[in-house]
Amino acid sequence: MKHIYLLLLGCCLGLHSFAQESLEALVGKEEVKTHEPVIATYKSTRIIQGHSPETLKKRELDFRVAHHFGDLGGEFGGPKTFFGMDNSADIRIAFEYGITDRFMVGIGRTKGSGNLTQLYEGLAKYKLLQQTTDDHVPLSVSLFGNSVVSGMTSSKTISDASYFGKFSDRLSYTGQLIIARKFTPSLSLTLLPTWVHRNRVGYKDQNDVFALGGGGRLKFTKRLGLLLEYYYPFRSQESKDYFKAQGRDLYNPLAAGLELETGGHVFHITFGNSTAILENQFITETRSSWLQGQFRWGFNISRRFSL
Amino acid sequence: MKQLITLLAGLFLAHAGFAQDVFMCRNTGLSFFSATPVEDIDATTDKGTSAMNVKTGELYFKVAVNTFKFKKQLMEEHFNENYLESDKYPYAIFKGKLVSPPDLHKDGTYEVAIDGVLSLHGVDKPYKEKATIIVKDGKPSANAKFNVKLADHKIKIPTLVIKNIAEVVEVTVKAAYNAAS
Repeated sequence: MKHIYLLLLGCCLGLHSFAQESLEALVGKEEVKTHEPVIATYKSTRIIQGHSPETLKKRELDFRVAHHFGDLGGEFGGPKTFFGMDNSADIRIAFEYGITDRFMVGIGRTKGSGNLTQLYEGLAKYKLLQQTTDDHVPLSVSLFGNSVVSGMTSSKTISDASYFGKFSDRLSYTGQLIIARKFTPSLSLTLLPTWVHRNRVGYKDQNDVFALGGGGRLKFTKRLGLLLEYYYPFRSQESKDYFKAQGRDLYNPLAAGLELETGGHVFHITFGNSTAILENQFITETRSSWLQGQFRWGFNISRRFSL
Repeated sequence: MKQLITLLAGLFLAHAGFAQDVFMCRNTGLSFFSATPVEDIDATTDKGTSAMNVKTGELYFKVAVNTFKFKKQLMEEHFNENYLESDKYPYAIFKGKLVSPPDLHKDGTYEVAIDGVLSLHGVDKPYKEKATIIVKDGKPSANAKFNVKLADHKIKIPTLVIKNIAEVVEVTVKAAYNAAS
C-alpha cells in the first residue's frame, strides 16, 4: 500500500511540473534547427568587376551595363577630358540568366581594353556551397568560368598579340573559385583564386596567369555598402622585367566602389586603375597605375527581372 | 495486486487526459498577402510552431521570418534584407489568450476572440482578433485572418516602391493541433 501512495505522489508531482511548463518553453523545445541559407552576401553577382559568390535565381534575367571611363588624372586626364568622362576605356553590355537557383549563364559584348578588342563572352557560374545561418555550412563557394572570343581584324604584324594565325588565337578563358563568407550582416569577405588562359599573347608574355583575388563589402545602411577588390597576378620575374624595360609596366588591379540597391536595380559606382572590365584582361593586362593618376570612374548597372 | 494495476491504469488515463489540455502544431501554416493596383505579393511558410492550452486558453505562435517563401526570389531577399531585417529580428512571435474559451474537448466549431501581443520586427503590438477553432475527434485546428499595418511594426517602405507594397497586409494562420507529448 505504501508503494502505491509513493507512486501516486510521484505521478502527481510529475503532472504538477508538467503543468507549470509554459507554452513558450514547449515550443522552444520542439524547435528543430533548420539550415536556412545566408542571403545576400553581396547584392549583385559581381563584387566590383570580378564575380561575387551570388548567382541569379531560377528564371531570373539580369541586364547588365558596365562602363569604365578614361584616366582621371595623369597625361590623359584632367580638365581637358573632364577627368576622364570624355573617354571610355571599356564598356560591357550583357544578359545573364538563372537556369536553376544555383546555376547561371550569360552572354556579353565588351569593347575590350588590352591586346584584343571586340570581345564576345560566354559565362557560367555554379554555386557549389551555400553558407547557412546556423554555420552548418560556414562558407559559400561558387565556380565561375568564361570563354571570350575577339572579333577584331587580325594584325598584319606576325609578332603582335593581335595577329591571328588561326581562329583559336582569338580565344581566352577564365576559371575561378569564389570562396566567401558573410561574417556579419554588414561584413562579407571573399577570396578568389583565379586562372586566366590566353591562347595568344605577345613576346615574353604568359599564356597562363594565376592570380589571387580578394574582395569585400562593408554595409553602411540597408541599401548602401562600400566595396573593395584587389587581384594579385603571379607572373614570372622575367616577364615582369621585360615589360618594365619596355616601359609597359604591369600593375595589380585595385578598385573601390559603392553598392547601391534600389529594389530591382543595383548600382555600383566604382573607382579603379584597371581599364578593362573582363577578368581575361584586367588581371593580365592592367598597365595603368593609381600612383600616376591613371585611375578612373566606372559604373555597373544591374537590372533583374523575374520571368 | 489487482488494485495496484487498476490504480496505475487510472493514473495513466489521468495523465493522458491531462496531456490533452496542451496541443502542439509543428507545421503551422502562415501566409501574407499584399494587394496594390501595381502588384500582388504573397508569401507562405509551413514552418511555424504553435502551442495551445485548451484549459487555460493560452496560445503561442513562433515562426522564423526567413522561412517565408516568395514567388520572386529577389522579393524574398528584399523582404529579409530590407524590410523585416531577419538578421536582427529572426522570429515573429504571437503570445495570446482565448477570451472566454469554450470547452475545446468537445467536437464542434467555435468562433473565438483572441487577445494577444504580436512581436514582429522588434516591435510589440497588442492585437484583438477573431479566429475559428474546429475540434474533430478531440483535436483542435485553428484558422485566423487578420491585418497587420506595416507602420505599426516600424517596417519602412521606401518611396520608390511605395506603390508596389500595401500599407496593410493580410495575414492568414492555419494550425492543425495534436496532443503534446
